[in-house]
Amino acid sequence: MDNLGIFLQIIFWGLYAGCIYILLATGLNLIFGVMKIVNFAHGEFLMIGAYITATLFFLTGINPYLIIVLSMLVLIGIGAVVERLCFRPILGTGKLNEIFLSIGLIYIFQNGAAMIWGDSWQSVKSPYDGITVPVGSLFVPLDYILIMVFTAVILCGLYLFLTKTKIGMQMRATSQNRKGAMLVGINVERIDVISFGLGCSLAAAAGTLWIVSGQVFNPYMGSIPAIKAFAIIILGGLGSIPGAIIGGLLMGLAENGAAFLLGGIWKDAISFIILIIVLVVRPTGLFGEKGE
Amino acid sequence: MKYSAILIVLLLVAAALIAGCSQQQAATQQPSTTLSQTVIKVGVIASLTGPASNVGTNMWQSAQVAADKINADGGVTLKDGSKAQLKLIVGDDESTQQGGQKAATKLITDDKVDILVGGYSSAVTSAYEQTIAEYKVPYIVTGASSPIITHRTDIDTSYIFHHCPTTDTYGQYTTMFIDQVVRPAVNKKLGTSADRPFRLALLFQDTAFGKGIQTAVNDTITKNKLNIQLVSQQSFRMGESDFRTQLTAVKASNPDAVYLGAFPNEGAPIITQARRDIGLNTIFLNAENNDNAQFYKDIGQYGEGAVIESRYSPYTAPAGAVADAQNTFKQTYFTRFGTYPDMMGASTYEGVFIAAKAIGNTGTTDKATVRQALVDLKMPQVIEAMHDKTISFSPDFRESTFDLWMEQLSYNATLGETRPGIVWPDNLKTTDFVLPSWYVAGSSS
Repeated sequence: MDNLGIFLQIIFWGLYAGCIYILLATGLNLIFGVMKIVNFAHGEFLMIGAYITATLFFLTGINPYLIIVLSMLVLIGIGAVVERLCFRPILGTGKLNEIFLSIGLIYIFQNGAAMIWGDSWQSVKSPYDGITVPVGSLFVPLDYILIMVFTAVILCGLYLFLTKTKIGMQMRATSQNRKGAMLVGINVERIDVISFGLGCSLAAAAGTLWIVSGQVFNPYMGSIPAIKAFAIIILGGLGSIPGAIIGGLLMGLAENGAAFLLGGIWKDAISFIILIIVLVVRPTGLFGEKGE
Repeated sequence: MKYSAILIVLLLVAAALIAGCSQQQAATQQPSTTLSQTVIKVGVIASLTGPASNVGTNMWQSAQVAADKINADGGVTLKDGSKAQLKLIVGDDESTQQGGQKAATKLITDDKVDILVGGYSSAVTSAYEQTIAEYKVPYIVTGASSPIITHRTDIDTSYIFHHCPTTDTYGQYTTMFIDQVVRPAVNKKLGTSADRPFRLALLFQDTAFGKGIQTAVNDTITKNKLNIQLVSQQSFRMGESDFRTQLTAVKASNPDAVYLGAFPNEGAPIITQARRDIGLNTIFLNAENNDNAQFYKDIGQYGEGAVIESRYSPYTAPAGAVADAQNTFKQTYFTRFGTYPDMMGASTYEGVFIAAKAIGNTGTTDKATVRQALVDLKMPQVIEAMHDKTISFSPDFRESTFDLWMEQLSYNATLGETRPGIVWPDNLKTTDFVLPSWYVAGSSS
């Protein structure tokens, strides 16, 4: 493999990793944008999404790329319940409450998943396992192309939902000015439920795409991606969905570039080095606005 | 009627008091406590939750099989010929250093165990060794493979005994296998002279375990002046699941083989991603902890041609008495738990037997005496092949010596999984090492 080939391959792995991060961070940003809550348990929704897809796949043998829709729908429901029972009662009572609540949820979800599915590592074999596609000078697995396509489709769908539907526009209005939204008659509590559910469904999509890529998973898989998702939304700008997309891609590329040039142990550290630099140079993040 | 009721109540109270006195009298009339009339408490430290729970559960269940067998056979045979029963108490280290510290402290101070068995992750185990040193409780470590467990000098490790090969041992063993078997096979395939340097890449976990393997390989090459060139040494974070970038770097170094210092949940994805996504069609050599049923399940057809250093496998055993003993253990375990025990389970099973033997030899649970019994221990091998067929601990670092072997995996399409065959050393091997047809040797260009 020549140097250009290696470079392209690293870029490709970075884009793939970026897709997972984008979906996770976009969901987190959607929730933060509307509700302004800090949910450290967001990675656990990725984990639950992964398990739901894997379980349905093991039971039915249906293509996991089709199960992704079902998994997202289930997570909308779970997210709505969590919002209604956990976050709504403490909304506006202070960030500390939100942080401790979400930390509590991490343990509840992890232990619950361990009880239901066991806590050993598992893996799923995609129906397209072993199929490669020529992309320029590279031969890349079909699964990764599909992962990128699915991410793009989901993001386009989200864009259309937010810009073309009434609920989407109400979500944006609530995100921009919650009190103003209430004054014009928007039911912000209903918008909170929908936003939380939608954010969780994006995490479920990320979880599904994680497992079809052949990565192993267990109930504790969500913690590190959740931390990275927070770094991404701070990097991209709190509440900014374009920021989450650019931030996710940057994070994926930076991690893989660092792993290649500096070694695997720098893979996680580099993300936070970039984050610190951005916060020092531009505290609002790449696309953030003052006051967030 | 009223008086009758009062009388009955008084009689009941009197009866209760008399019974209490009788019991008290019985208790005080007991002779002084001897070991033959008590229970020996064995603490088992295992990762029942967290990332290592698969292995930890296996260790705990294997310990139960051992204790049940010992107790069913009448208990621990003491020096005077009498018997004592074993009672196991488990401590969950939660796969974390803090959890390990908590588990060890609880077992020692609350449960007051007589001896400890277990420990998997070297990082976790080394974190609570200070507690073992402080309370001076004999501890037979059956899973953590870093030599620092008994070699470290910052604390007193004299109560700690190491019943599993260290990374030093199997790192050296695997490197010698590469030099004596894989290198000639590659040279033969390439039609090159025997003095062609073998191009070896290392991909290892950034922990005491992974770095231990890296050190062992480097030291073995230097010490024995082996014609092996380390063309890439890449590390990764423990628990990583995406290895594609490191594997791209490894592939760019054109290796003849790749030696992995990885846990099973890392080893299987590494090989899968290397062969499926990167096109790195080479021989992957794995540490012994990968030789478990979950690894074979996860790796599927991509395991074809891979090599594992081993001393206990769920699917093969060297011929002889050890194979029979292993089969009995596997079947007993399967009957009870519905799965097969793994390697760490096997050594933990033996750890309970070692604990029982040491206490039995002394007839006491006095910890200093039991420690000395472990130092002096010489007992027949149980289910794993030991050096000289005997379990004993070295005088310097209190390490037992195992007979190791190398096995190569071949794909069984019916099962949809690979199965191992022993290829080295010659006295144990059941099949020959072969380079698969898809194998691509490295090149310096």
